[in-house]
Amino acid sequence: MKLQYGMRSAVTRVLWLYGFLLATTISGVCGDTEPNFMSVRKNVTKEYKSERAIPKEKYFHESEFNHHYDGRYANGSLPDTKVIPYLSDLIQTYFTTMNAIGAETWIMHGTLLAWWWNQKVFPWDDDLDVQISEATIHFLADYYNMTEHHFDLPNVDGGRTYMLEINPHYVVKSERDTLNKIDARWIDMSSGLFIDITAVRKDEAKRLNGHPEALMCKDKHHYEESDIFPLRDSLFEGVPVKIPYAYTYLLEEEYGPKALTRTSFYGHIFNEQTKIWESAVRKFKRSLRRGSRGNNLPMNTPTLTPAHIDEA
Amino acid sequence: MAPLDSHLQDFETNRADNDYHPTTTHRPSYPKQFTLYSRPLIDSARNEWQLRAAADSQRASSSSADDIKSPGWSQMALSVVSAPRFRHVLIYVALFLFAFIGWRMLVSPRLQEQKSLLHSLDPTSETETGGWFGTNSNPQFDGLIQIRTLDPNLVPGNIAGVVSGKSSRKRLIIVGDVHGCKDELVQLLEKVSFNQAGGDHLIFVGDMINKGPNSPGVVDLARQHSASGVRGNHEDRVLLLRHEMVNTETLATPDDDEDARFSSKELGERAVARSLSDEQAQWLENCSVILNVGQVPGMGQVVVVHAGLVPGIELEKQDPSSVMTMRTIDLDTHVPSPKKNGMNWAKMFDKHQSKLYSSLESSTEDPLAGTMTVVYGHDASRSLSIRTFTKGLDSGCVKGGKLTALVIEDGGKQSIVQVSCRGYIEE
Repeated sequence: MKLQYGMRSAVTRVLWLYGFLLATTISGVCGDTEPNFMSVRKNVTKEYKSERAIPKEKYFHESEFNHHYDGRYANGSLPDTKVIPYLSDLIQTYFTTMNAIGAETWIMHGTLLAWWWNQKVFPWDDDLDVQISEATIHFLADYYNMTEHHFDLPNVDGGRTYMLEINPHYVVKSERDTLNKIDARWIDMSSGLFIDITAVRKDEAKRLNGHPEALMCKDKHHYEESDIFPLRDSLFEGVPVKIPYAYTYLLEEEYGPKALTRTSFYGHIFNEQTKIWESAVRKFKRSLRRGSRGNNLPMNTPTLTPAHIDEA
Repeated sequence: MAPLDSHLQDFETNRADNDYHPTTTHRPSYPKQFTLYSRPLIDSARNEWQLRAAADSQRASSSSADDIKSPGWSQMALSVVSAPRFRHVLIYVALFLFAFIGWRMLVSPRLQEQKSLLHSLDPTSETETGGWFGTNSNPQFDGLIQIRTLDPNLVPGNIAGVVSGKSSRKRLIIVGDVHGCKDELVQLLEKVSFNQAGGDHLIFVGDMINKGPNSPGVVDLARQHSASGVRGNHEDRVLLLRHEMVNTETLATPDDDEDARFSSKELGERAVARSLSDEQAQWLENCSVILNVGQVPGMGQVVVVHAGLVPGIELEKQDPSSVMTMRTIDLDTHVPSPKKNGMNWAKMFDKHQSKLYSSLESSTEDPLAGTMTVVYGHDASRSLSIRTFTKGLDSGCVKGGKLTALVIEDGGKQSIVQVSCRGYIEE
């Protein structure tokens, strides 16, 4: 599948996905009346008040077998080798959909770091992070909540269907709502894998204290408006994506300077010539197998313990 | 109390001297000349205040004890300090303190900085720290040109060539952050007697627009003179916003609620984006992040960027966002940052090039040709900052500082020309 991707140019692939999206969007509204962000912009560019009461229940649940899967759509994790292609499809379909709607969204956190290194998902990744503006979450909640989007994907029989689900507690702005830090999800209904979507809002409290550009998320990340906006246009996994304005600075602040220079992460080494993260473990195994005494070594790759990059 | 006692005794004798007329009455047997020598002039010079002190002490005899004490203590301190040996000690202590503070505040930090710079640039420290900045695959951005090379016909040549008439005189006029201060730019061009037909070429180090009074005017002037420029962070932001406004059809007619939605900074940038015509925006869009001037005889390779370059990374692989915003650089990883606190990137770059120069000195005939000089702006807080291989030209014109031009002539002769600015914003 990777090879086929490689053979198509990024542009044709995007157009191709886009065509399918337009043809197969199953949204509440049909045909000509399908809302576009621009067409309803006037309704959503207002000041947003926050609900006072902090919800007591968590809206999005993770599966019991792996917190990166939505238990409603899966009974078990994907085999290791399949996770990355699935994640790549997730991010491609998400951005294709959002670009078509005209919704403002950009990649952040670990996904931004992966983009920074080689504009591809990290081979050890198991989740993806994107952010949306406050206006966008209101727009999506009003017009696109619980919509299913079908994509015919190369080498995927019957294609896959993705669902955009908005956390109804998105109207609660407070960081104290620790059960509902995630404002929305883009869910692969065939595997249960999903993208976490968090809304970036004006930090009213900080703004009153002399920080006119303060922004916040419910997951307790804080930003300055001019570090995120204006957004830049780039490519990730071959699709057009938006990148926060001061990407290098944001990454350095979040992960420290070494995250931008270390070429060895989680059993992978960055090949400076091919610009690809290669598994150091597999290479090591191969060299052992070639050796005279290594013939009987077991073949399966040991599971790499995922840890937060921060601590690396 | 011994010194005080003896001092007081001194007082008594002096007073006695004063009461009676000196010289003749006291010691009549001595010849006049001798008496003169035995009573130095300094004694009579002290009389006035001694008289007053004596009167004071007489008056004080009726008042409180504290009043008597205070002149006594100050007298004692004065006498201790004025004692020759003590004065020497004081001088030695002062000298020592001076040297110590000088060492701690000036020399030692310099040496430390040199040491850490050398260590930071030492190739062996790369493996120590697990890699340096610049190994990633550089991301591509829509509408952003990474690098352009200046037309070689505009680059100053050899001084010998000009003298012999083989080539014509050429100058590069590189101007710091203008920020829409058109009047000052016009004055500066007059001051350097800018003459495009006479072989002058105008280059801007970015931040030509925003903040100041006349951004479109500056762009028009630049276009009129067929100038070159690099993309500064202000061009970057305004152009990105302008694109967004074109896409959302809000360029011509702003949304009614823009005032409430955007910060005052962004509102200013949006206003500038609207003030630019499509042609002006296109001209700015054509400014690359890096302008490679090429080899200038007597200078080596000259490169113009807005904020800075990370030493040791090829121009094609420099991170564009950092090139437009960096001020400092991390010593371990060489990761640049827009923060003001830390190692100045220019210091590190200059050191890197100096090292390169000395290594080339022994092996090549023209070691300068192997070096790179960066002309930049962006950092008004450091103002004009000229080093051998880095030339910082932002002298804060829009805030009432100066507008600076670096003039590069044939043979690599450089000079700085400045005009004072009115000051349009406070910061």
